[in-house]
Amino acid sequence: MKTLKKKIESSFDNINITVTDNNMDISIDKNGIVTLLSFLKNMGYEHLALISCVDLPDEKLLEIVYILSAYMENDKKFTEKEARNIIVKTRIPRDKANFVTVIDIFENAEPYERELHELFGIHFQGHPRLTPLFLELEYKIPPFRKDFDTRKFVKQFFENIPAVE
Amino acid sequence: MNIIEIILSPVIALLMGLFFLGLARKIMARIHWRYGPPIYQPIIDIIRLFSQKAMSHGFIFEMGIILSLAGSFLVILFLPIGIMCPLSTGGGLLVILYVMLLGPLGIALSGGEAANPNTSIGISRKFILALCYEVPLLLIILAVITHYNTISIVEIVNRQSMSGWSFGSLPLLLSGIAYLLILPAILGIRPFEVVGAAQEISSGPSVEYGGKYLAFNTIEHGLNEFIGIALFVNLFLGGGDLFGIFASFVDTVLESILGVIVFLVKMIIVFVIGLFINAVYPRFRIEQAVKYIWVWPTLLAFVGLIIVIIVH
Amino acid sequence: MDRNQIKKWFKSPAKMGHKYSLHAIYFCTGCGIIEIPPSITARWDAERFGVIPVATPRQANLFLITGYVSTKTLKAIIRTYEQMPEPKFTVGFGSCPINGGMYWDSYNTIKKLDKYIPVDGWIAGCMPRPEAVFVAVTHLWTLIDKDMANGYIKYREKYKYYRANQEKVFGTLDWPPLFS
Repeated sequence: MKTLKKKIESSFDNINITVTDNNMDISIDKNGIVTLLSFLKNMGYEHLALISCVDLPDEKLLEIVYILSAYMENDKKFTEKEARNIIVKTRIPRDKANFVTVIDIFENAEPYERELHELFGIHFQGHPRLTPLFLELEYKIPPFRKDFDTRKFVKQFFENIPAVE
Repeated sequence: MNIIEIILSPVIALLMGLFFLGLARKIMARIHWRYGPPIYQPIIDIIRLFSQKAMSHGFIFEMGIILSLAGSFLVILFLPIGIMCPLSTGGGLLVILYVMLLGPLGIALSGGEAANPNTSIGISRKFILALCYEVPLLLIILAVITHYNTISIVEIVNRQSMSGWSFGSLPLLLSGIAYLLILPAILGIRPFEVVGAAQEISSGPSVEYGGKYLAFNTIEHGLNEFIGIALFVNLFLGGGDLFGIFASFVDTVLESILGVIVFLVKMIIVFVIGLFINAVYPRFRIEQAVKYIWVWPTLLAFVGLIIVIIVH
Repeated sequence: MDRNQIKKWFKSPAKMGHKYSLHAIYFCTGCGIIEIPPSITARWDAERFGVIPVATPRQANLFLITGYVSTKTLKAIIRTYEQMPEPKFTVGFGSCPINGGMYWDSYNTIKKLDKYIPVDGWIAGCMPRPEAVFVAVTHLWTLIDKDMANGYIKYREKYKYYRANQEKVFGTLDWPPLFS
């Protein structure tokens, strides 16, 4: 684990790495995400497990989280001192949420980015198909953000529909 | 006498067809260790279906199902039930063989008019299956015709009452076994239930039928089962006769009634054996069905035909 | 059961036919569909009541809506309901079609199914057991006897109110109105 940490710290600046039992947490500035992900993919972490997002309304930021791991047949290359999961985090501004897509590096990022576009309102440049995935209606505020009041929405939308006598 | 036979024969076939459908559901339920619906449940279904207002897709959609019903009723007029045979001519067996195909043809016509891809898949499977089992069926019928030297089916039944059942006579035993092996394909029960597969293609050709068209389809299904088993009983199990003991001591009216009863009892026994096979087997795919039917039953029928030719 | 009473059959065969041959369409909405296969198989046998599942709405009589209804499912339910032939009955299972149930404050599920398609009866529970399914079927028989299960007539007469409610949820609908 120490060797990997030193390697990453030497190639990138403006980076913050913490190491727990088997996982490594990396926080990086949003401009360096693409080079970092291709660097980690070349090191053997070829499986993108999840792309998720956290809403921080006080700091007016959205934090995008990428979780990478290595496939089992590559485990023999790593000794016990390397990381099992690597979690990469960046922060982007909340008001105009634009980001770059990582489909060129990991092809299976397409549905995850589509889901984040629909539920958080983040626009990914370069994504071929940013259409709705789960939801049928359109909402003014994206539903997973913390300032979307679901009870007010239900009262104003669904309870205004009259019953048929 | 003929008018009574012409009216009575299709009525008996209709009632027996519906009885077979209800008996199938009841026996399958008992095999599954549960109670089933009552035996007259298909009649309740048909009453309900006739009181529903269904949607029609056009003229050919309605006429196709009526064509298949007409074809099935026509075949029943040529089949002897006991000593009752309304239209007994010299070449009865050949007429039955080619009019039997009007049933699937009518359903295919009406299914083509319904704009549903599931219908097309169901109809293509039905015709591939019909093409499959026609090959051993024709070989078997050729063997029977050669053995008895006649094409009339009434003549075949009469000769069996004098000289014993075809199934027991030595030249025709292999043909009988081959017919038993393809009987599930003719009836459309498992393992050859590919046509009306409910889960795969949303019940195949009958996916767009509702209301009265589905009622006609159910009646048509019952009649098809009746025809398939009746042909087997007439050709191989002696028809409506119990070794010729009836002709000697009763008059014709009582003899015809007893003949019908014996015929129906034989049909029920064959149907129940088919139901036991239906309860145990899963469904073949269509290419597995083709591979099965064209290997063993065709081989047995061919060998049976050669044996009959050698003996005569 | 009055299945054996021949006089009733001759008086009104259509009603008795609708009672004892309820074919349910096998539409698997939501989480309640887990309770339907046990009521069809051998332990709690639904076939002795005349209830079997069929694969297409054109052959069906009864529509069971089991579980929560999201907005995407509502489109499919409306299209399926409109394809069924005329005397048809709907039963809502569970507490989610009644008033929203567990998802009463969700932005994506509808709260009362009665505003969009007519429903003849409800069954309480989350999910109801198979015995509750059979109690519902026998109650539906009583309703059909008394001519009170007329949801489909209500749909035909008040169609413009139902259609207005459906359009409030979805904006414009892809299919033309069923009754003009």
